[in-house]
Amino acid sequence: MIFDDYEKPSKLMMNLRAVFGRAYPRVIGVNREPSWLFFETFLPLLTVAAFVYFYKALDAPAQYIGYVIIGGAMTAYWMNVLWHMAAQMFWEKEIGNLELYMIAPISRMAILGGMALGGMFTCTVRAVSTILVGVLLFGVTLSLPNPLMFIGIFIFTMIALYGMGMMFASLYMLWGRQAVHMSSLMTEPIYLISGFWFPIKAFQNPEILGASKGLWLGTIASLIPITLGLDGMRQCLFPGTNDGFLPLWIELLALMALSVIFLILAKLSLDYMEKLGKQEGRLTMRWQ
Amino acid sequence: MAMKEIIQKNIQTMKWSAWLGWQMESNWTNPFKFLVYTIARPIASTLILVVMYLIITGGITYTDQFHYIYVSNAFFMYVFWVLFGITWVIHDDREHFQTMKYIYISPSNYFSYMIGRTLSKIIITTFSIFITLAFGVLFLGIPLSLTSVNWPLFLGVMIIGLLSLISFGLALAGVSFLTAKHSGGVNESIAGIFYLFCGVVFPVHILPTWAIAFSKILPITYWLELVRRALGLGVGVDTALASISTETSLIILCVSTIIFTIIAFSIFFLGDRLARSKGLIDMTTAY
Amino acid sequence: MKQSGGDILAIPAIEVKNLNRTFKTKAVKRKSKAEIVKALQDVNITIHQGELFGLLGPNGAGKTTLIKILCTLLLPSSGQAKVLGYDVDKEAHEIRHKINMVSGGETSGYGLLTVRENLWLFSQLYGMPTKIAKKRIDYLLKVMGLEHKKDSKVRTLSTGLRQKANIIRGFMTNPSLIFLDEPTLGLDVNASRLIRDFIKNWVKEKPGRTVLLTTHYMMEADELCDRVAIINDGKVLACDTPANLKKLINQDTTIKLEIRQVQDLSAFEGITGVRSFTHSHNITAGITKLKFILDDDATIADIVTAVPKSGSKIVSVEKTEPTLEDVFVTLVGRSLVNNDI
Repeated sequence: MIFDDYEKPSKLMMNLRAVFGRAYPRVIGVNREPSWLFFETFLPLLTVAAFVYFYKALDAPAQYIGYVIIGGAMTAYWMNVLWHMAAQMFWEKEIGNLELYMIAPISRMAILGGMALGGMFTCTVRAVSTILVGVLLFGVTLSLPNPLMFIGIFIFTMIALYGMGMMFASLYMLWGRQAVHMSSLMTEPIYLISGFWFPIKAFQNPEILGASKGLWLGTIASLIPITLGLDGMRQCLFPGTNDGFLPLWIELLALMALSVIFLILAKLSLDYMEKLGKQEGRLTMRWQ
Repeated sequence: MAMKEIIQKNIQTMKWSAWLGWQMESNWTNPFKFLVYTIARPIASTLILVVMYLIITGGITYTDQFHYIYVSNAFFMYVFWVLFGITWVIHDDREHFQTMKYIYISPSNYFSYMIGRTLSKIIITTFSIFITLAFGVLFLGIPLSLTSVNWPLFLGVMIIGLLSLISFGLALAGVSFLTAKHSGGVNESIAGIFYLFCGVVFPVHILPTWAIAFSKILPITYWLELVRRALGLGVGVDTALASISTETSLIILCVSTIIFTIIAFSIFFLGDRLARSKGLIDMTTAY
Repeated sequence: MKQSGGDILAIPAIEVKNLNRTFKTKAVKRKSKAEIVKALQDVNITIHQGELFGLLGPNGAGKTTLIKILCTLLLPSSGQAKVLGYDVDKEAHEIRHKINMVSGGETSGYGLLTVRENLWLFSQLYGMPTKIAKKRIDYLLKVMGLEHKKDSKVRTLSTGLRQKANIIRGFMTNPSLIFLDEPTLGLDVNASRLIRDFIKNWVKEKPGRTVLLTTHYMMEADELCDRVAIINDGKVLACDTPANLKKLINQDTTIKLEIRQVQDLSAFEGITGVRSFTHSHNITAGITKLKFILDDDATIADIVTAVPKSGSKIVSVEKTEPTLEDVFVTLVGRSLVNNDI
C-alpha cells in the first residue's frame, strides 16, 4: 500500500534530508529567474570598482586594491547570512512556511543549514566573479604559499559565520519588521569595524584610533567571524605586507573556537527563542 | 473631472502614502532606537571612507579632495535611498503585505502613491544627510559654513536633482513591476552605476576615458558637482568637470532631467501595462 | 515505552484538561493600556483515535489558538494538553512525527517551485525517502485531480488548486492525527466536495487515523464529523455527536418563515415562547427568511400574527427539523451565516 510505513531514517539522516530539501528551492529557485546571475555578478563589482578607484585616486599601495577585492568577495557571504538566513526567518513566517517547519520533526538547525547551503551557491558565484574581475581587470596578483592555511581559515570562517547567522535567525524568528531593520543596521557598521575595505590593523594607526584603542576595537570586532576571516585570507593571499591583525595561526584557532561557540549558542538560542515564541504566541504572528 | 479636483485627489494620495511610508519606516520601534538607526548607518558608511582616506594619507583631512569625497558621499545617500526605497515599495506591497493589488485597483493614482511613499524616504534621508554633515563639521574639520553657501543655487539644484532622482526611481519601479523578489538588485545596480560613474568617492577624471564620457551624460554627475559648488566644498578637484561652468552644468542638469523624466515616465507606464498583461500585479515569488 | 501493545488506540488522540491561553496585546498609543485577551478558558476536550472531530465557532472563538497549541506552535498559559499521549509542552518532538496541519486560505511553499517540487521539499522535513515521497505525491495528485498541474509553478495556480496542493502536503506524510483549519475556506462547491470526500475516506481507510477540523460551514461539520464541539469566546459550550447536539433542541419547534416586503423586523422581537430568532435577506428576490426556535407549537400563531405588523406578507411557512446551525444559534446566541445574501 502506498501509505504503508517505511523504515524510519536515523535522526541524522532525517536532518540531512531536511537540509537538502531546504537548500533545493534556493538553488532551483534562483535558476528559474536567470536574471540573478546578472545581479549577483555585475552588481557587487560596481561598489568594488568604486573602492578600487578610491584607492587609485589616492595613489594607495597596490595591495589595497587586493584588499578591496577580497572584501568585496566576502561581502557576498555576509549579506547571505544577514538577508538570506537571518532575515529569511522573518520572511518564512510572513509567507506561512515557518509554522510548517516548526511542526516538522526535525532540528531547526537543519532548516537553517539548508538555507545556508543553498545560499552559498549564489554567494560563491558572486565571490568568484569578484575575484576574477579583480585579477583580470585591476591586475591584482594573488599568491598562495600556504594553501592549507587558506582553506582552513575559509572553512572555519564559514562555519562560525553561519553559526552566528543561525543565532541571529532565532531572534528574527520572533521579530517583525525590526528584523529587516536590524539586518540593515548590521550592514555598514559591520563593514566598518570588520574591515571589509581596509585591514583592521589600520585602526591602530596614530591618526585613526591609536595602538591601544585600535587593538581593542579589532579584538571586539574579531567576535564577528568575518573580521578574522577577512584578515586571515588577506594575510594568506598577500604575504609579506605586514597588515595582518594577529598571527595567522592564532586567527585560525580563534575561528575554530568561534565555530564551536556560535554553533552551541545557535542551538541554545534557537531552543530558547522557540520556547519564548510559543509562550508569547509570536512564532506565527504575521503582518508586523 | 476638473483639473483642480484631479490635482487635489493626487495630492491627497501623496499625503496618505507619505504617511504610510513614514509609518512603515518608523513604527517598528521606539523613537530613540529609530533615531540611532537613522544615524548609525550613514555615519558608519561615512567613517569607512574616512578611515580608508586616513590610512593612505596619514591623517590629513583638510584637503579639497577629502571635502569632495565627504560632501558627495553624504548627498549620494539621496540616490541610494530614493532608488532603493521606491522599488522596495513594489516588492514589499506586492509580496509581503499583498496590498499592492488593492491600492492598484483603487481610484487613487498609483503613480502619485509611489511619489508619496518616496517623499517619506526623502525626509528621513534629509535628516541622515544633515547629521552626516554636522558630524563632518564638528569632528573632521569640514569647513562648511552656512553663510558661505550659495543658497539659491543649492535650493534650485536640490529641487531639480531630487526630481531627477524620483524619475529614476519611478523608472525602476516600472521595471520592478516585472521582476521577482530580487528586484532589489535592479535598483542596487543603478545606484551602483551612479556610485561608480558620478564622482562620489573619487573624482571622475580618475576613470578611463570611455567612463568619463559616460559619466558626463548622467544628470547625477552634474547634480553632485553643482551641490559641491553651491556649498563651496571640493570645488575644482574634478578636472573632468572643472572646465564646465556652473551655468552650463545647470542647463545640462535641467535638460538631462527632463529627458530622463520623460524616459522614466514611459518606462513606468510601460512596466505597469506589461505587468497587467502578464498578470504580475499580485505575483508572489518567495523562495 | 508510552505506547505499546494492542491498546495503542486506547490512548486518546487529544486530551485537553483545564486549558487556558491568554495573550497580552501591546498598547499602540502611549495613553492606551495593554490588553489581556483570554483566547481559551478552561477548555476540556477528549478526542479518541479514529474520530473525525469538528470545532465550530465564530471568528475569534479560539479555534485556531487551540489548534496551534495542539500542533506544538504555541504553549498553553495553564492547564494540560496531550496529543497521542504526549505532552505538547515537554514532548513536542514526539508529537511532530505523528501530526500534520493544513490551514485554509493560506498558501505555503515557494512560488517559484513546481507543485511536485514543493511537495517533495516538505516530505523531506519528515525524512521521507525520495522514492516513497514521489510515489505518494503522484498518487495524491491523482486523487485530488491535480496531476496535470504537477509541473506548474505554485504561483501560477488558482486558489482552489493551491489549497488542494496544501491538502496533499498535509496528508502525504500519513499522519496519525491531522489538523485541518478551515480546509475548504473560499473554495467552490466541487473543490469543497472533493476535499470533504477525501477526508472522509482517509479516516475510514485505516483504523486510528484522526482528524481535528475547524470550519465555519455547518453542513460540512454535520456531514463529516463524528463529534462536534461548539466553542465561543474561548469556552467550549457543548461537545457531542451532531445527532445528540440536535437533540438538545429536539423538543423545541423550529419554524422557517419566508416573508416579502418586510419593513420592520422588530415586530418579531420579544414574542413570548421564542427562544431564538435569526434572519437573512435575499435582496434580489425581495424575500426575507426568518428562522425561529420555539418552546412549543402554540407560539406559531403569535408569529403569524406579527407578520402584518412588520408590513410584510407571508410567502411560506415550514416546520423544520433542527440543524447544527440551530444548535449553534441557541448556544451562542447568533448565527455563523451572513444575514444578507
